[in-house]
Amino acid sequence: MKTLRGPAGALVLAAAVLAAAAARDDERERKLIGVLRSDAPPQEKAMACKQLALCGTGEAVPALAPLLENEQLASWARIALEVIPGPAVDEALREALGRLKGRLRVGVIHSIGVRRDAKAVEGLARLLKEGDAEEASAAAVSLGRIGGEEAVRALEPALEAAPPPVRSAAAEGLILCAERLLSEGKAERAAGLYDRVRRAEVARPRILEATRGAILARGAGGLPLLTELLRSEDRGLFGIGLTVARELPGAEATGALAAELGRLAPERQPLLVLALADRADPAVLPVLRKVMREGPKESALAALGSMERTGNASCVPDLLKLALGEDRDLSAAAKAGLMKLPGPEVEADYLARLPRAAGRERALLIELAGRRRIEGALPALVAAAGEADPEVRAAAVSALGALGGTAQVPDLVKILLKAEPGERDGLEKALSAVAARGGADAVPALEPLARSREGALRVIALHAMAGAGGPAALAAVRKALEDPEEAVRDEAVRTLANWPNRWPEEAGVLEPLEVLARSAPKAAHRILALRGVLQHLQGNRRLPDEERLARLRALLPLAARPDEKRLAVSVLGTIPAGGALDLLAELAGDPAVAEEACAAIVGLAERKDLKGAAPDQRRRALQTAADKARSEGTRKRAGELLRAAR
Amino acid sequence: MNDSRTWDRRGFLRGGLAAAGAAWGAPLFVPASALGLGGAAPPSGRIRLGGIGIGNRGRYDLGCFLQEPDVQFLAVADVQASRRQAVKKMVDAKYGNADCAMYRDFRELLDRPDIDAVLIATGPNWHATASIWAARAGKDVYCEKPCTKTIVQSLALAETFRRTGRVFQGGMQRRNLPHFAYAVELARRGRLGRLRTLYAHPGGLGTGSSGWAPADPEPPREEVDWDLYLGPAAWRPYSRRLMNAFHFEKGGGLVGGGVLEWGSHCVDLCQWANDADQTEPVEYHPAEGDQATAVYANGVRLVMRNKGWLPLGSCPVRFEGDAGWVETGDNGDMVASDPALLAGRGAKVAGYPANNHIRDFLDCVKTRGRPRANADVTCHTHIACHAAGIAIFLRRKLTFDPRTAMFVGDEEANRLRSEAEREPWRSW
Repeated sequence: MKTLRGPAGALVLAAAVLAAAAARDDERERKLIGVLRSDAPPQEKAMACKQLALCGTGEAVPALAPLLENEQLASWARIALEVIPGPAVDEALREALGRLKGRLRVGVIHSIGVRRDAKAVEGLARLLKEGDAEEASAAAVSLGRIGGEEAVRALEPALEAAPPPVRSAAAEGLILCAERLLSEGKAERAAGLYDRVRRAEVARPRILEATRGAILARGAGGLPLLTELLRSEDRGLFGIGLTVARELPGAEATGALAAELGRLAPERQPLLVLALADRADPAVLPVLRKVMREGPKESALAALGSMERTGNASCVPDLLKLALGEDRDLSAAAKAGLMKLPGPEVEADYLARLPRAAGRERALLIELAGRRRIEGALPALVAAAGEADPEVRAAAVSALGALGGTAQVPDLVKILLKAEPGERDGLEKALSAVAARGGADAVPALEPLARSREGALRVIALHAMAGAGGPAALAAVRKALEDPEEAVRDEAVRTLANWPNRWPEEAGVLEPLEVLARSAPKAAHRILALRGVLQHLQGNRRLPDEERLARLRALLPLAARPDEKRLAVSVLGTIPAGGALDLLAELAGDPAVAEEACAAIVGLAERKDLKGAAPDQRRRALQTAADKARSEGTRKRAGELLRAAR
Repeated sequence: MNDSRTWDRRGFLRGGLAAAGAAWGAPLFVPASALGLGGAAPPSGRIRLGGIGIGNRGRYDLGCFLQEPDVQFLAVADVQASRRQAVKKMVDAKYGNADCAMYRDFRELLDRPDIDAVLIATGPNWHATASIWAARAGKDVYCEKPCTKTIVQSLALAETFRRTGRVFQGGMQRRNLPHFAYAVELARRGRLGRLRTLYAHPGGLGTGSSGWAPADPEPPREEVDWDLYLGPAAWRPYSRRLMNAFHFEKGGGLVGGGVLEWGSHCVDLCQWANDADQTEPVEYHPAEGDQATAVYANGVRLVMRNKGWLPLGSCPVRFEGDAGWVETGDNGDMVASDPALLAGRGAKVAGYPANNHIRDFLDCVKTRGRPRANADVTCHTHIACHAAGIAIFLRRKLTFDPRTAMFVGDEEANRLRSEAEREPWRSW
């Protein structure tokens, strides 16, 4: 046999694959049709219908169509029929239309509407006149979905002649027809249909929908109707007016709505401002700016609230004026607007204003620079941090804290060294934040502070070092343990003891803490240091368990208080080793921590990865837990483990 | 009937300040007491609310609604008597009276002209159909997620709410939580550079069909209206297993709702981050292991994955760009490539409370604005999830055209875009 190679061969292969797939699909469909025709139980037929939704063709229609009169299976059959393409389905549905009654017929009517079968219009029109209320209503809406002049001709008389529920369905159908006409560019015809519905005695939601449509179909020609709605005493009509105020495109609409603002009742103006702000039209911005400047307060607030979406750099002067004004609400809203104004031009604007600004405006611009993270402002912020105006200084320091990096640490240190004690809190906060961001790189710049003649400043240096971390910072803190001032030494001990919380894997902290824990002259220092060691043993995942255990064993005699013993228990509870069991059993001898120790014993004893625990050692520890635990759960579990060990 | 009430202008003022407060680091809304309202809004300023299908989740939502001073809850409709009674008890206790009405059939509730809006929490089988029915009845809707069962139903939801001018809020409340909104803002404002990949946790990648369970003895209609429970779902006999089943008819058809479970939240946030609220991805790949991917027209990849997340709680998302990344989840924490990116974030909010989202909805009911998870947003998020589910179900790559909302060159996939609804229900 000759084998085809190259593109021709690929095509033949592809065709063969497709043919094979089609053959499989045909076979699958045949089997499913067979199920439908058999006396299989309804649930099997239901699932067959579902599958036919995927693979069914016109071949399946003769088996599916009879199910349309089966109350249990009609909806399943329509699942398949609605999506199978081709005229066979439409014919079957039209035929069922004449045959079925009641809800089953309604289902078929809906499917016809979904498929937009124009050939069914005549049948649906008949049902609109002759069917019961439910059938007629369904027919009306399906006619609307199909659309076209024939459908419109069937629906229009029903708007007046039909009973109320069917009239409202006819209205819905006509609205759907109008929508389709509008999408086809037949706006005038659409407007005519909307107007008919508006005048009809139908359910109120249809009137509101038609009113909306009537305006949108007319474009700018709908503006008189729109302004009528905005002035209407009827809340529903007013609401639709607000909706359409957002939707009706074009500059003419924007202009008309802006003009309407001043004519509206005061309580309605903010709502129209919000609607204007939602319009995707650059012409809205000048209107909003005017409202911000001159409008009543509620309207101004509405305009201000939209600045994030609508504003740009042109709004800055207005916003600054309001932000610095007397009214608290307007000021807060304006500041929020300045914060959220979009676009890099806005930040350039703030930077350009900064050199010229003074007083509160200057402070505000500085605050904005920090909160918006305008890095280009850093040099100006550094300069401002040393200015005479306290509000400006405070704003600059805060902004530096938000924005500054390693490069700003020397500046902050310089300022701190000269600052009044009352200003140090803000400076310390900024310095700590910046040092933390800079990390070890920030430490050299902190040295002048660490060497300051004033103890309070040396304490600030310690805090900043703690934030920065790294060997040099640690060394500086260790050096401070020998500081001539007691307050500084106290703070150095605290800083060292807390080091593991911030830097859990910094091993260099262990040795000085252990020395302090053993031999610090002050009891408070010994306790803090011990806690620090225990914290480190708990947090440093790099330490091998044996080392942790050994250090704990050596330190445990120093733990005189329940708090430190509890900390030791929680560390021991994470070391799956026989030695940990022994130490926990010892700790269980102290009633203050017995409960925790016993629970930890049970937790460890249960672990499959428990190492170096001789059976006797484990049993002794569990027996201790069984004897000394107050909690019934712990005692019970200890007992179970003991029994299992025998 | 004309209704000449207008909204209380101070209620509006709260909305304006809410926007201001949100931007300047304050809570997303300002309580009435802070504005000197100091108590319930006057009757003319209240939104009259009904509830449809209020079960466990619905009662949580209802609790949030009842905290708002400008809400008055009037009636509940549920196919199950026990649930109707539970809601009535909750509401009557709140108001200290016995006024909450109960209906078995939600259409009677929708017929009431004195109800402005409804909370729909029926379960996914009914969400879209009931929402559309409510819109046609002139009501604004807050609807729990997932909001739709198919692509076509998603489109119908958007079309209906546009046509009727009603307000819709899908229950994707993370759009109104500050840490998610902040992460999205970082993405949208270019702080992460050009966006490359968005990660969403779908909460599952399975597909499946609710099926036909063996029949159980059917309770009396006033106790459980099984026919109404089934609603638009194809008929099957009463089954205790299917009654209140969490996934009943979720995602409709054969495809089922795997991606929808958390995808309706997380994919939604990714859509927002990518400024794709009016569109959806154009390419969908079937699942490979624990993830499935999609690609947007702008080249951004959407990865729906169940694993590989930082421990930030449920419904996490991650946005990656050329210049950085950010990840956040329901525990309120955020992690970023550079801590400086997080310098502007507000207070941490853990869990996933719906209060802000509900307030957003209520404000829009008054202003006729569009809330954050409005019908268009909901439509496109759900289309993305359904399309992803279809690719997973069919196990092949699919190309999707957002302009036509159809798969390109794949009839089988297009057949899965919709599913017929049982008579007499329709979602259009």
